[in-house]
Amino acid sequence: MKVFPEDLLYSREHVWVRVDGDMATLGITDYAQESLGEILSVEFPEIDTYVERDEAFGSIESTKAVVDLIASVSGTIVGVNEDINDDIGIVNSDPHDTGWLVVIEMDDMEQLDDLLDAAGYHDYILQQEAD
Amino acid sequence: MTWRLIPYRSYNAFQNMAIDEAIFRETLRNKRTPTLRFFGWRPAAVSIGYFQDAQKEIHADGCRSAGVDLVRRITGGKAVYHRDEVTYSLAAGSREGLFPDDIVRTYEMISSCLARGLAELGICASLAETGRKAGRAPCCFSEPAGKELVVDGRKICGSAQIRSHGGFLQHGSLLMTFDPAATASLIRSPSPPEQLRDRVVGLNELIPVPVSAERLCEALRKGFCDGLGVDFAPGELTQEEWALGARLAKKYESAAWTLERKKEGFPAG
Repeated sequence: MKVFPEDLLYSREHVWVRVDGDMATLGITDYAQESLGEILSVEFPEIDTYVERDEAFGSIESTKAVVDLIASVSGTIVGVNEDINDDIGIVNSDPHDTGWLVVIEMDDMEQLDDLLDAAGYHDYILQQEAD
Repeated sequence: MTWRLIPYRSYNAFQNMAIDEAIFRETLRNKRTPTLRFFGWRPAAVSIGYFQDAQKEIHADGCRSAGVDLVRRITGGKAVYHRDEVTYSLAAGSREGLFPDDIVRTYEMISSCLARGLAELGICASLAETGRKAGRAPCCFSEPAGKELVVDGRKICGSAQIRSHGGFLQHGSLLMTFDPAATASLIRSPSPPEQLRDRVVGLNELIPVPVSAERLCEALRKGFCDGLGVDFAPGELTQEEWALGARLAKKYESAAWTLERKKEGFPAG
């Protein structure tokens, strides 16, 4: 079973969140990248775009599917990982660190309360797989 | 358990993609039970995957001069020339317990249903074990992806999927006949027509008496019933789906969407 970093929060849409003040860095979890298989493209939002929690902020393409990226928090996009344009492989190989996707300046920190910690996300996946 | 079945009918490419997206969005929004839909394409059309580059991968002039529409899908995958085929689409919302939260296993499950349907017609199709590599041919039918259907190694069905909010839309083409020369004239495939002919087959080339689209749809319905253990009740689009579909059709008709993947000003997902 995969190990999920303790210092991240996780959504049920398989997106992780790293919080630094009111800045949230988002990426897809190791579980998500493995389910997707080889990732071919990522579509980023434009900087300064406002994204709503639970709405798509971009999409990701693997060999046979497009998957919407669902925002875990609301706020303004202030950064996207340009390195991915040079090496898309880091989303598969290092999803929790260098394969991050976007940074959102949050406007409602209380939304973080609805996210799971590493143990909760681990349990969520086990439950998904058992269903 | 009973799901909705939208019976076979032909529309143009923009209407077809708009209807599929409208069904998917409304399924997610209203948490409704899944919908299986069968349809044809009139006039013939080329559809490209969400991330494909139309300018690089399609002979746009060839499409125009042949009267073939060009449309961008919201699903992944590669380009398909839709002419003499039945297309299926299956839209399911989140927590739809029958389907796994996994792209490949969903493909596998749906392909098994399609194979059961083809078996009704005496066609023995199997699931391709390995998929094509990334960045290869722009034509969907050049090579089978993993868990897609092949008959004696020749691809008979190409499918594509989008996942959002835990649900999915998968649609795919079952070819009645295959025209490799026309395909090669519309899609920039590195494979010449002779090679495409060796890799792709239409189902009416495999059986002594050709079947109609309606007969194929009935066989596929039975395949889905038996494969999933659900019943299908024929139904219509809801008023909300028609209304959303009409607005989405404008997106699919626009060059901004087809050529540049721009979706500003159109209903969001």
